[in-house]
Amino acid sequence: MASVGEILEIPSEAKDGGKRPKGPAKGALGILFAPVTLLIIFFLLPLLIMVQMSIVKFPPRVDSGYTLSHYTEVLTNPLNPHIAWTTFTIATTAMAVMLVIAMPLAYFMVFKAKKWELFLLLSLVLADELAPVVKVYAWQVILGRNGIFNWLIPGPPVDWLLYSRFAVILTLATTYITYTTIPIYAAMKAIEPSMFEAATDLGAGWWQQSRKILIPLAAPGIFVAMILVYIPMLTDFVTSDIVGGAGSYMMGQRVRDLILGQGDWGTGSALTFLLLAMSVLLSLVAYRLARLNRIDA
Amino acid sequence: MAQAVQDGGGLAITDAAGAARVRRRRAVNAWSWRAFLAVVMLALFGPLVILVLFSFNDSSVLAFPLEGFTTEWYKAAFQDPTLREAIANSFIVALIVAPLCLVLGTLAAFGLTRFRFRGRGAIGGLVGAPLVLPWLIIGIAALMAYARANIDLSLKTVIATQTICTFPLVTAIVAAQLFRFQKVQEEAAIDLGCSRLQVLRHIIMPHIAPALAAAGIFAFTWSFNNYEISAFTLGFQQTFPVWVYSSVRNPDHTAIVNAISTVISVAQIIIIWFALRLLRSRTDDEGAKSLIAGTEAVAAAAKT
Repeated sequence: MASVGEILEIPSEAKDGGKRPKGPAKGALGILFAPVTLLIIFFLLPLLIMVQMSIVKFPPRVDSGYTLSHYTEVLTNPLNPHIAWTTFTIATTAMAVMLVIAMPLAYFMVFKAKKWELFLLLSLVLADELAPVVKVYAWQVILGRNGIFNWLIPGPPVDWLLYSRFAVILTLATTYITYTTIPIYAAMKAIEPSMFEAATDLGAGWWQQSRKILIPLAAPGIFVAMILVYIPMLTDFVTSDIVGGAGSYMMGQRVRDLILGQGDWGTGSALTFLLLAMSVLLSLVAYRLARLNRIDA
Repeated sequence: MAQAVQDGGGLAITDAAGAARVRRRRAVNAWSWRAFLAVVMLALFGPLVILVLFSFNDSSVLAFPLEGFTTEWYKAAFQDPTLREAIANSFIVALIVAPLCLVLGTLAAFGLTRFRFRGRGAIGGLVGAPLVLPWLIIGIAALMAYARANIDLSLKTVIATQTICTFPLVTAIVAAQLFRFQKVQEEAAIDLGCSRLQVLRHIIMPHIAPALAAAGIFAFTWSFNNYEISAFTLGFQQTFPVWVYSSVRNPDHTAIVNAISTVISVAQIIIIWFALRLLRSRTDDEGAKSLIAGTEAVAAAAKT
């Protein structure tokens, strides 16, 4: 996958000049043998088995013959487009909310925070390292019928705060904000502050500066953030399980329920494979966009 | 957003009223930034504060106003045998997964950055793939593979799959660090007669030690906090996130969940905070920032 080299910062061939030690290939084989073998056995092989399950008639019995019926079932079940649409709406709204917060936050950290920069960075990392399940649960406590919001707001308790799309979007946005902010922060780090001064001298207002300088130069970071945040949100099932309701049933929950709940491995793995294909496609597109933007800048 | 820069325009204004206006605008600016940061901090840490408050609340009902101070939920939490076992299991898993990831991840980082060979791109892709693919998908695939191979689900299967998902992250962090310092130093040391082992001890280790420390901490916390992989590859045992998950819908358990979550979260905050501070003392400020930001950027992928 192309995006991976980017994330891993594996130097490209071009950057990689200079002398190599003797017998490089042999040495590499020895060093890489253990990690690569384990990846093949515990990562690649299971993915292939999952694909196999999606085309076997009666999984997990592989001798029952092959069929594409699980895929037809996934594509024709009227429930699935509905769930897909819900998932798309929730993930996209949460992504938009996060970008609106992450852009100014990253801007502040890079250009205005000074000695607080490291503190803010550490806070973001820390907030992320708390157990996700616990964090999501905490929102349940805050938004509930007897929660802090309903206690603060006068009048009869508001019910739509919890077990609703609103709760899922709010919780997703606070859960993934670290991963949205940090790539944008990293991209903004590369911007020369004098650019803004020059723009001011030429009479550009803050909106023009954001639109013409900040956003284009931070674009690679924004696309990386989208790979890192949008894809996991599409498959998230923890958040919606704990703070979501009937109106926020998401794809991740659907897959989990099919496989763990109903034991329907055929349909479940067909759906998972489609999610897998979509993840790969989305990350390739975002990666290309990030690359294109970098060249433009 | 670019107001700071705009303030520079104030230089052109000479009259007193104009200067006052600029001062006022600056003050408004500073205050709106502070308000914005306060909201962000509240969203990040507010939930935790609420958990802490309720963990000392003398009522098993999660409702404001608070009723009184008690530590009985902490006592109950530590006496709950299922919970104790779940926490022990999470520790066992994380204590095995983290060192395994450090070894495998560092090996892969060396292989990918210090050697050039045919198929390196493909192997890089293979190592990075678990970071980009959602854990849901990896978990489901693992569940089916274990069933197909007739392997019973247990802590061992959790450890195997978590290791596979987490070590590429160590690779990413260490590879970034290896790439940052020049290979020339290693070659110079060899030319001066150092053995491979001496190069490793005196040249490479000091350079990658901060990265290894950061990677180790992150590998440990991810393993400890991981729910998705455990949900699919765990047998009859429970890990801490799985226990929380099964308890949050049980009204009798919520007070205990609050107490134990407080303990675990506070412990995590203290450990990570001091570890990252220590990292900072080992490198310079900018080094620490780039390490943390780099780590997180990659870490991000691992969450998927």
